[in-house]
Amino acid sequence: MKKVVELIDVKKVYRIGNEEVYAVNGITMSVEKGEFLCIMGASGSGKTTLLSLIGCLDKPTSGKVIIDGIDTSELSDKGLTDVRRNKLGFVFQQYHLIPTLTAFENVELAMLIKGVPKKERERKVMELLEIMGIANAADRKPSELSGGMQQRVAIARALANDPEILLCDEPTGNLDTKSGEIVMNLIKEQNERGVTVVLVTHDPDIAKYAERVVRIRDGRIIAEGLEAIY
Amino acid sequence: MYFQLALRNLKRNGIRSSLAIIGIIIGVMAVASIGIFSANLKMSVLSNFQNVTDEVLIYPAYTTHFRHGLVVSSGIMYISKRTADRIVRLPYVKNYAFVKSSFTTARYRDEVFGTTVYGMKEKAVNRMFKPSSGVIRLSDSCVVGYDLADRLNLRVGSRIEIKGHNLRVSAILKETGARFDVNPNNAIIVSLRDYDRIFNTKGNGYNFIIVWVNSLKDVGLFKEAVDKTINEKEKKVDVFELKIIIDQINKSFNFISSFLMAIAGISLLVAGVSILNIMLMSTLERTKEIGVMMAIGAYRSTILKLFLLEALILGIIGSVIGAFMSIIGGYAVDMLILHSAKYLFSITTFEYMLEGIFFGLLTTILSGFYPAWKASRLEPLEALRYE
Repeated sequence: MKKVVELIDVKKVYRIGNEEVYAVNGITMSVEKGEFLCIMGASGSGKTTLLSLIGCLDKPTSGKVIIDGIDTSELSDKGLTDVRRNKLGFVFQQYHLIPTLTAFENVELAMLIKGVPKKERERKVMELLEIMGIANAADRKPSELSGGMQQRVAIARALANDPEILLCDEPTGNLDTKSGEIVMNLIKEQNERGVTVVLVTHDPDIAKYAERVVRIRDGRIIAEGLEAIY
Repeated sequence: MYFQLALRNLKRNGIRSSLAIIGIIIGVMAVASIGIFSANLKMSVLSNFQNVTDEVLIYPAYTTHFRHGLVVSSGIMYISKRTADRIVRLPYVKNYAFVKSSFTTARYRDEVFGTTVYGMKEKAVNRMFKPSSGVIRLSDSCVVGYDLADRLNLRVGSRIEIKGHNLRVSAILKETGARFDVNPNNAIIVSLRDYDRIFNTKGNGYNFIIVWVNSLKDVGLFKEAVDKTINEKEKKVDVFELKIIIDQINKSFNFISSFLMAIAGISLLVAGVSILNIMLMSTLERTKEIGVMMAIGAYRSTILKLFLLEALILGIIGSVIGAFMSIIGGYAVDMLILHSAKYLFSITTFEYMLEGIFFGLLTTILSGFYPAWKASRLEPLEALRYE
């Protein structure tokens, strides 16, 4: 199978005062196309940093991050933005919707930024909102939506530009069990349609949706496979 | 949609945005109103000088005459008739007036008064001045200026005595603004023949000549022609372009106007600082949003444009309203200082409105740039984590 994410001895060092802290300390791993990978770990284990490196939101101190064959360590700022825009979709724990825009417009924004024509944008936004089951909330602002609905808008936004990889950072962290289930089923559905999913969580119940689990502690992989859940 | 997004971001802090707009309105209004007022003041002053830009005055040059190496005479002489005839036959001359003048005393009834007496041809007087009463005729009569007639209670038909010569008043001239050639308000104008009889100056030549050229650009050419022909051997005449005076007045007023506008510009500067302030606050408040936009694929340049657009919207709204309100401001200052607003609706008012808009927009773009640039330089990850 084709590898869409490849990490080769990736390190990320933060300097706090005189001390160097390894948030990610020499991780080598890969994600195959269409896979559902879950990165688990306690808070401070480095799992979110790892997701940021895969998401091209941050650059590694050393090592290589290869996304769909592109070595991102050699990319410029604009090049990294292009990878984010064309290959990746983000779902955050805090939803991170733009409060002044409606649900429809929040999803549309991602396509607008990419320069998708208006007609195509409108068609796709409605299609995505329908898939997410929130088409009737298209005109509502984030403040008028429940947490679960906001996260569904965020997923729709992440899928707007047909990403190769969906990166989810504790997508159910702020949701009740029922809403969390709906959100996870939607993510799983997308994975079944062929979208590669990399999900970060500390919740074993959420990790069960994944095909493969990687457990991280102190910036290193300490266990791999479904047994890594516990 | 970027426009809508920008507009909504501004609406989110409606009061803050409104205050920034008010700042720009005041700034633009101050600059444009002052500009409009200065222009109107200039127009009002220049209107006193009437349309004299195509006029050229020719005076006799200061000459010194020698005989056997000794100075026999010096000073301002006359323009001889021969020279005068040569001058008015030069190209570019459309019209001309020969003028003799001197200051003397005259008498009306029992009152003796000092006055300037001009000797001119009737045709020239008719061309230059309009009568307020009577008909301009100069054979054995004279015309008098408005102020003189008013002071002495002169009427058409009154008789004035100048140096023993009795002249009938044929017309009283309308009041004129300040002039550089012939100032008739306090003067008496007689024919050249009468002038020579009164002052015994037959054969003396003229004190000065007024020449009107065909068009403004001919002024310089005419001057050149005079220097090449009349003044070739010795400097016989001085050529004095009235255009220069108007140019000087224009220059002085432009300087005053720039100075006043610069002072008014301080208020625009303050408005700029307020925009800088609100945009910086906005950048700070929306750090997370900026991070989200970057995460979903917005280039730094897109963020820069979005924030600049917001500043520009404030600028456009403020500047346009300010420019229109400057008409009110200009009217108020005009009425206060000039006691008239008759020059308000002119092309220069429109020009100063545009200038106000230009400076208003410039201020907002300049002050909006730094916050926009700052927003665009944020690191996406740090922006996302910002609390």
